[in-house]
Amino acid sequence: MSKEKGVCFFAYNNEQIDYIKLAILAAAHVKKHLNVPVTVITDEGTYSWLKSSHDIGKSSKYIDDVVITEDEMQTNPRKHWDSPWSSFNAPFLNGNKHKIWKYSPYEKTLLLDIDYMVRNDFLNHSWDQYTGVCMYSQACDLRNELPGSRERFLFDAGIPMWWSTVVYFDRTEVSKLFFDMWEHISENYDYYQYLYNFPGKLFRTDYCVSIATHILNGMVSGDHINSFPNQLINMDQKDDIVEVRDNSEWIMLSNDTNEKWKNILVNNKSLDVHCMNKRAIDRHYDKIMETVK
Amino acid sequence: MDERLQKALEFSNYSLTITNQKKNIKNRINQIRIVHYNNGVFFADEQTISFIKTLIDLEHKSVVLIDTKENPVEVENLKELLNNLTSAYFSATNELNAEFVKIKKQRTVKQIMDW
Repeated sequence: MSKEKGVCFFAYNNEQIDYIKLAILAAAHVKKHLNVPVTVITDEGTYSWLKSSHDIGKSSKYIDDVVITEDEMQTNPRKHWDSPWSSFNAPFLNGNKHKIWKYSPYEKTLLLDIDYMVRNDFLNHSWDQYTGVCMYSQACDLRNELPGSRERFLFDAGIPMWWSTVVYFDRTEVSKLFFDMWEHISENYDYYQYLYNFPGKLFRTDYCVSIATHILNGMVSGDHINSFPNQLINMDQKDDIVEVRDNSEWIMLSNDTNEKWKNILVNNKSLDVHCMNKRAIDRHYDKIMETVK
Repeated sequence: MDERLQKALEFSNYSLTITNQKKNIKNRINQIRIVHYNNGVFFADEQTISFIKTLIDLEHKSVVLIDTKENPVEVENLKELLNNLTSAYFSATNELNAEFVKIKKQRTVKQIMDW
């Protein structure tokens, strides 16, 4: 019998990023602020790494269930940044994210990316608030500015972008349709890239959910897929964390994309943050963990 | 560098940082002002609070309201919604006031960051 509600994370390690380590931190945030069960979906190799390299006893304080998958995923090479001055390449394994419908043990699920740090209880409203699927359709950066046009629309005259960073869903027929559509788009990604004219070689689940939403809304703007009433706050890969304080304050550096030698300091207190610079989280891992224990 | 230019650039950096910090605080405050009620989403602003109070004064018991997403929401207990809205409103304004009092005294980027 499935459980009532909970949060799920996907975590597949690669040679550069210890995703399972980040998943433990993200799960600790969920436990502190949402206080719901957490399931991590991973593969055998990553799970073995968790058992051998991290304190399994400690991690089980934050992670209630582990689902081991055997999906074959295509290599999805991605260039990651750690500030504007340092970059590295690593595969990004996200090809099976739509299978959360199958893997989630919950009736009502919040699927979060492992770099999404929950820092207040706002998402707890989701459980009773939404029927079907809910995601973010509005985002801003650390300067409270809108993302670039390519992060707001799939192309200049394209459909609006939705974010797959936070996906809430229940077990209704609409949710099933949504995940079936997402799967179909994943399987025919090249065709949909041609049809919707979005750029790049990286397989992005944000594009998949945007197209699925567009199609399910009848190819027009609609509200069959819910959007969260607040904004997703994105910390860019070129931004950094300077200091983590006990009172939920993070002092961050927001980089100027046009003049990359310029930064401003930002004090983020108690707002959820999508921390795309994973190395920055890693540098402050122990201190961040202390604040959510 | 010319001292006048250096001072102007320092002030420019300070202005940019403090403006962003105020936006950050407002972002947090606006999230506190979001009230979920009976599957609807309301924003705790002066207009909504006044409107609900007017409906109560006119002795309406249950009404259908349009929420911020333009969906109709049946409200059986207007007083409860008013309480939720005013509570969210004052939580937000008190926090905003506390943060602004703090930020007003800060004259450098270091002070804004509480260093």
